[in-house]
Amino acid sequence: MGILSVPFERRRLGNGLRVVLSHDPSVPVVAVNLWYGVGSRNEPEGRTGFAHLFEHMMFQGSANVPKNGHFELVERAGGTLNATTWYDRTNYFESLPSHHLELALWLESDRMGWMLPALDQKKLDNQRDVVKNEKRQRYDNQPYGDWDERLQRLVFPPAHPYHHTVIGSMDDLDAATLEDVASFFRAFYVPSNAVLSVAGDFDPGRVMDQVDAYFGEIPSGSPVPPLPGDPEVEERIGGTVRDDVVADVPLPRVIMAFRIPPYDAPGFTTAEVARAVLGTGRASRLYRRLVRERRAAKEVVSYAFPLLSGASMLLVWATGYPGKPVAELEAALGEEVQGLTDAEDAEVQRAVAVLETDLVRSLEQVGHRADLLSMFELYFSDPGRLNREVDRLRSVSAADVRRFAAERLGADNRAVVTYRPKEAP
Amino acid sequence: MTGLDRSRPPDEGEIRNFAFPEVERRTLATGLDVRVARVSRLPVVSASVFMRAGESALGETSAGLAVLAGSALEGGTARRSGTDLAEALERIGARLAFSTGWEGTSVSLSCLAERLEAGLALLAEAVLEPDFPEAEVARSRDQQLAGIRQRLKDPASLAADAAARRTFAAAVPYARRLQGTEASVTPLGRSHLHGWADACFRPERGGLVLAGDVDADEMERLADTCFGGWTGAPSAAHGFAVEPGTRERRIWVVDRPGSVQSEIRVSHVGVSRSDPDVFPLTVLNTLLGGAFTSRLNLNLRERSGFTYGVRSHFAMRGRGGSFEVQTAVGTDVTAAAVREILAELDGLVSGGPTPDEVEAARDYIAGIFPLRLESVGQVADLVLEQVVYGLEDDYHARYRDRIRSVTPEAAWDAARRHVRPGEAQIVVVGDATAMARPVEALALGPVEVVGPGD
Repeated sequence: MGILSVPFERRRLGNGLRVVLSHDPSVPVVAVNLWYGVGSRNEPEGRTGFAHLFEHMMFQGSANVPKNGHFELVERAGGTLNATTWYDRTNYFESLPSHHLELALWLESDRMGWMLPALDQKKLDNQRDVVKNEKRQRYDNQPYGDWDERLQRLVFPPAHPYHHTVIGSMDDLDAATLEDVASFFRAFYVPSNAVLSVAGDFDPGRVMDQVDAYFGEIPSGSPVPPLPGDPEVEERIGGTVRDDVVADVPLPRVIMAFRIPPYDAPGFTTAEVARAVLGTGRASRLYRRLVRERRAAKEVVSYAFPLLSGASMLLVWATGYPGKPVAELEAALGEEVQGLTDAEDAEVQRAVAVLETDLVRSLEQVGHRADLLSMFELYFSDPGRLNREVDRLRSVSAADVRRFAAERLGADNRAVVTYRPKEAP
Repeated sequence: MTGLDRSRPPDEGEIRNFAFPEVERRTLATGLDVRVARVSRLPVVSASVFMRAGESALGETSAGLAVLAGSALEGGTARRSGTDLAEALERIGARLAFSTGWEGTSVSLSCLAERLEAGLALLAEAVLEPDFPEAEVARSRDQQLAGIRQRLKDPASLAADAAARRTFAAAVPYARRLQGTEASVTPLGRSHLHGWADACFRPERGGLVLAGDVDADEMERLADTCFGGWTGAPSAAHGFAVEPGTRERRIWVVDRPGSVQSEIRVSHVGVSRSDPDVFPLTVLNTLLGGAFTSRLNLNLRERSGFTYGVRSHFAMRGRGGSFEVQTAVGTDVTAAAVREILAELDGLVSGGPTPDEVEAARDYIAGIFPLRLESVGQVADLVLEQVVYGLEDDYHARYRDRIRSVTPEAAWDAARRHVRPGEAQIVVVGDATAMARPVEALALGPVEVVGPGD
């Protein structure tokens, strides 16, 4: 048996809602988590940022819940709650004392079934202002804040659903109407496009009745519309594409991205391990070589985005020191990334060991456990994948990483965004 | 189930009791305070060593030394280079985190339970035998200096640092940036770190906290094996009293041309972690600006649409602390947001909280407490808080009862004593040409426009 044995049960309601239950009574808390199969990739032209604005509207009340009632009732119950929007999905979640489980089921089912009766222009205008301030705070008023907008444009062609960012553009946010909200709700917020996970302390004999009572009578909707644009792209970018920026930033920074197989393709696991060999932990390659030995970078970061549509991306970035040319930093980073073609067994084992501990630790929180189960059900129809994650990572060999580096991390598959401080060389 | 009534929230189910994990205390012959919290959920453990080696023990000229010494611990030991230390840890999936604040330095290990013995030995080696090799010290120092430069371009950091400087009198360490200044950090080298470590990386007045599926007797033996030869007390702390810079309300506009938002801080001197009003203030802050449905957030975000979010906070430290409201708002509504923040503070002090607000806040804080204790790292952090601030052993076991016993009168009383909008220092970081004049027109007090470095 593997190190993980998270118990789970799968069900499907008559209206198509998929349900995953994971019982663990060790602490009297329970997590309710919903993943809807809709994100920024579903936004039509002229409506970038809309999936996220819509997520905000889901907290503005529903047929039986007043504006902010969701927050008021859950906080008063001693719970926490939030929602996030990403490229391929939107999630909504509560963690709360287990005797308040039905409160979360009532709130989530009311907005899944009957959100539209509560909608009005004043709420939309208010949340549009809130989201515009979120965009200013997290992107527009931040040094380097436009990096992902620049990078996504380079990695994905204009017709691709990942060409634009989740936060979208101010103009598109301004253009959103009440009718957009209503039609988006009808198209995507249907039971058959969602997964509900309940994890933690609940009564195993009653929980399905409770779920069925709240969610079962929500009308099933139509199948969701196809993705706008074209998710099919070449495996590689086909060269080195770049965007060199001079801006009011404190330090030089280089961000490099590579097209990789999508999350549901077998090759993705190798990319995940490769990025950990590169940038996870203080013994990782980029930290050891660039930060510690060469002292070329103040900090390094690496990600492999788990994206589904056609292709995904692996990303590394390095932040340099004041007064040092950004070109030197780029050369050093490129060298170390490409050098992964000589990856050794010990490095791969180290990376997997760190990922394994990180995974186990993340499962300590019922909210995160529920979130992973929802993801695995929505993306793979296979919540049991959670218990095989460690085996999946362990299956990657150093030879796989070397091959991946040779195929994917070269100059023929590279997007680069550089930032040079305005007043420096 | 039939006849479901959706028109009102469902009744709650049967409440299940929650108890703070049992904590066993042992004291090693050398004086090291060892606390073991048993948490048996997943096979992971967390171990933290805390040493009374914090920034508040330093004078202005050596500001940043404690932070540098803490981060340079990753540079390796007499027996192992920094890379070798990192590899030894990560090969077994273990991670070390180094963190230095005002009160001290903590080094935390997280790993799978079966790796604890090897992991703790490496933690002890890092803390007890630091080598501080020249190249690694220079690297950590350059990182810290670059980090200071980043803070000067980041609006939120800029606002936080400017607010601290205006809130506390110049001689109070809390007035400084935790990481020090370019002038105080640049001269620091290997000998300073060795001197600091010899003086302050000592077991007394610190402690070791372990949380996980572990046995206290075994942990005592393991601690003795790893830390048995470690003795001594840290050198005396730099003495200071916490005083405000001024009691006159003043406005500081930090000019950041081209900003599309204004970062706002409204702050004044607050209370220490041992203040008798900690519980009423925790309830009070929750309803003012500590939760989504707090007064400030419902006004500035949900009614006015000025911001993505606004929070208030009592930073309670060893010797004192601060009260602060923080938010980021659109440039064109800067003055209106400052006005609304002060109106909320004035309204709370003059009218007090309603009984319903107090009850909701108490329920929220008491209710989410188990959610703050799901992971072994969270449990270890709370037990460590008992060590750092000298709290009673049953502090967290009694926490929820003490929160629940806060009355509306006690909360209002605490507001009248500890929320003083008339003494607030108001810092606004943003495009001064676009918002300084409307802010000045509020006539809240003298306005000064300053640069990011001032």
